[in-house]
Amino acid sequence: MVALEDLKQEAKNVLEGGTVKYIIGYKKPAAGFMAVPAFFHKPEDLDALVWDPTCFHNLVLFLKDEKKRKLGQKEPDERPVGIVVKGCDSRAVNVLLQENYIDRENVYILGVSCGKTGMVDLKKVRKYFMGKIISQIDFNENESFTVTTTEGKVEVPATDIFADRCTECRTASPVIHDVLLGEDSVRTPENPFGSLEEMENKSQEQKWDFWQEQLTKCIRCYACRSICPMCYCDECVVDTINFAVYPDTPAEEKAQKIKWVEKSPTTSENFIYHMVRAIHLAGRCVDCAECERACPVDIPLRFLNKKLEKESKELFDYDVGYDIEIPALISSFRDEDPEDFIR
Amino acid sequence: MRKLNVYQIYAPVKKESHWSYEALDKPESIRLDHLNTIQSPKMIIFPQREVFFEFHNAEGNTPVMKEPASEPSATVIFGVRPCDAVGVTHQDKVFNGDFKDLYYWKRRNQTILVGLACDTPPSPHCFCLSVGGSPHFTAGFDILMTELEDFYYVESFSKKGDTLINLAGDIFSTPKENSKKDKEKAHSDSEKKLKRHIKNLETVPPKLKNMFDSPLWEEESLSCIQCGICTYLCPTCHCFDISDELDSSSPLSGKRVRTWDNCQFPDFTMHSSGHNPRPDRASRLRQRIMHKFNYFVTNYQAYQCTGCGRCIAKCPVGIDIIEVLEKVRDYGK
Amino acid sequence: MENNHYIPKVARIINIKDEVEGARAVKTFRTQFTIDDGFTHICGQCAMLSVLGKGESMISISSSPIETEYLQFSVLKTGRVTSALHDMIEGDMIGIRGPYGNGFPIDKWTGKNLIFIGGGIGLAPIWSVLQTALGKKSDYGNLTLIYGSRTSKDLVFKEELREIKQEMAVHLSVDNEEDGWEEYVGFVPNNLLDKKPSPENAVAITCGPPIMIKFVIKNLQDLGFKDDHIYTTVENKMKCGIGQCGRCNIGLHYVCKDGPVYSWAELKKLPQEY
Repeated sequence: MVALEDLKQEAKNVLEGGTVKYIIGYKKPAAGFMAVPAFFHKPEDLDALVWDPTCFHNLVLFLKDEKKRKLGQKEPDERPVGIVVKGCDSRAVNVLLQENYIDRENVYILGVSCGKTGMVDLKKVRKYFMGKIISQIDFNENESFTVTTTEGKVEVPATDIFADRCTECRTASPVIHDVLLGEDSVRTPENPFGSLEEMENKSQEQKWDFWQEQLTKCIRCYACRSICPMCYCDECVVDTINFAVYPDTPAEEKAQKIKWVEKSPTTSENFIYHMVRAIHLAGRCVDCAECERACPVDIPLRFLNKKLEKESKELFDYDVGYDIEIPALISSFRDEDPEDFIR
Repeated sequence: MRKLNVYQIYAPVKKESHWSYEALDKPESIRLDHLNTIQSPKMIIFPQREVFFEFHNAEGNTPVMKEPASEPSATVIFGVRPCDAVGVTHQDKVFNGDFKDLYYWKRRNQTILVGLACDTPPSPHCFCLSVGGSPHFTAGFDILMTELEDFYYVESFSKKGDTLINLAGDIFSTPKENSKKDKEKAHSDSEKKLKRHIKNLETVPPKLKNMFDSPLWEEESLSCIQCGICTYLCPTCHCFDISDELDSSSPLSGKRVRTWDNCQFPDFTMHSSGHNPRPDRASRLRQRIMHKFNYFVTNYQAYQCTGCGRCIAKCPVGIDIIEVLEKVRDYGK
Repeated sequence: MENNHYIPKVARIINIKDEVEGARAVKTFRTQFTIDDGFTHICGQCAMLSVLGKGESMISISSSPIETEYLQFSVLKTGRVTSALHDMIEGDMIGIRGPYGNGFPIDKWTGKNLIFIGGGIGLAPIWSVLQTALGKKSDYGNLTLIYGSRTSKDLVFKEELREIKQEMAVHLSVDNEEDGWEEYVGFVPNNLLDKKPSPENAVAITCGPPIMIKFVIKNLQDLGFKDDHIYTTVENKMKCGIGQCGRCNIGLHYVCKDGPVYSWAELKKLPQEY
């Protein structure tokens, strides 16, 4: 188990010493009990740093902003950014390194281990504690969480309220780090793609109906894309709102820009948006499930990305975010790659 | 409900983890134990996609434009919370004025809002009392229902509401003498249950007038991911885009369509030349707060916020508008 | 629906003139409504030009309200809609809806000297005032135009400029030395200082690139012009044109409805976000 004081001390060391510009971590919100992302610029700010099972945000997405910010500065501060990462998050850092989006010296990784449990799923917590007001959730040494409500403390088995993705987790502790807090444990889930079984057993028609219903709800808020650390393209191909336009972009180029997806949130446009985004994440998604958490209308986006992760593994024996030396899945070709789907 | 079958009825329906307004065809499926819907009635009265007209080229390449033929039907939105009804009244102000938005008003005039007073706050982040509302506020409602022990106390505030009540006939009976007192007690009790408040919010609009260049906006917007959740779920936000959707380019045919848009998207204000008056998150967060708590206040004498708390509950990175307002209020102290 | 502001009226393009060619092409379009329903406007107002299938673009009406035969727009080719306009030929039809905006308060300027200061395509939005003043010369004092562009090829209304030289003071400039150019060489704000128009009983009207406007206003102040006697017209991305979609919102105003014309006294009170 990670001792919060140790994490704070490590963080303070690098911030005080000037090794890092600032640290991206977690803090308690103004109201409620779920941790929120926070930026710590001064060592004394770190007193507010927290580490508990509500730290489910994947903070790697803020490395995108850091890079874009530096690009806009004349004399950027080249020191690395300190970032608190969990196991799944660390693989996201690896994907960014593998794709040369950031350099290793741009990040100082404070790795924290989730131990035997993982992160809670907010919807499950709410359902379990129907109506009760929760103030705190803590890790325990064994496989349970301690939840503090206005009525006292309750010990809850982790399996009851932790996130689906944590049931299939294989990296309970960061695979890349400058500092590691907590035990370096590896999990071997029995069925790493078990959550897909129910869906895979549906008929083609049932699958179509399922996704019709789900994707009709989509309001194209783009939260799923904005919160994904891998969606860093300046100009997204399935987005009609962000264009990389500069003062010297010729008029013809702007005029000929193809609108692949209309702005209207109709079911067919939503299908294109989500399917294309999922395919662009094949071999890149680390299953942090932030997209599903961020979705305000509860679309089970994790299924789409997890399925492609499974295909990547089964067809190409590719694991996402473990080895930064190997080329990215979609930008490489090996002679032994299967060809039976090419007709 | 059966007696209301001349109306298109929308009511809250439970999905897996949230409530949502849906068109109802089975009166039995109406439930009134909902908290609040994920989207406000804005999605029905000011829908996310509205076809302005269809166009095609006629003889001699003359453009012909045709407005949608279908007329909106008389609609009842059932189970609306007071914060959302106030949101509708704010949208009414925007779409009125020198240029009335006829698409909006055609629908709005046919809509009857039947509300349910909140006995407990639907969200831990409700703060309606701080922005001039309350769990039993009547603005915007045609009918408001308050749940008492054995029955609902129902009040009508408009002709549309009266029509509905008359249609329902003998479902309603005259309230007993002390029912009114019970209702008023229920209302004042509900106010005490609100957990979150912003003290002295009235000091914020004047303070904001001098905070355009404050570094506060940069600090508060660091984690914003520029999605559309806060604005799309907000009952009062109304920004939109107009675009042409082609069905065929030759012969030309398509539709001109209005869709919701959002001042938090990076390219919202970008000019074709590449110049963007609001190029960063700080300026966009500032715009959101300024518009809701400064400009709208000056123009319409009301906060453009109803305290529904959706933006706080659903922000994926935990940006809390109450926290930001409190920082504005206390800035420099 | 009656009075549906979003339905454009159909207009035929009766004349197209190439003002500037090349990368920053400008064309001037003269349009006539196919059904005349008495469209009128005040100087400074704009209209939404529709190319069905591409979209809409808010363009200043550069013809004077005195001109009843046509509405004139000068369009810089910069994106999807404007490129589509540039691809059109005389006889093609577009949609026009408007007029939108507040217009210049020219009624208040009777008897005053008018100093027009323009840069590049910025001459087009103020051209309507200039044409009105020339058409009713007795209503106004002395008229002066100080106008410049990057190069002589980028000047708009080249023919008209030659014509009006007979009737009013016209001072042109280009940014850099050019073969055959005999007038001022330098930026427009500097030409303004060079020509030193008097602020006495005068109103200055300026439009051009934002950086030019900034320095022109500063130089006008140095020359003694009061803030409420300096007028400009502001550009912002617009969609609805009627102050409801939120896109052109600056402070308490919607530029499409409460602007685009502002005196510097009014404009400096708004947040500088345009």
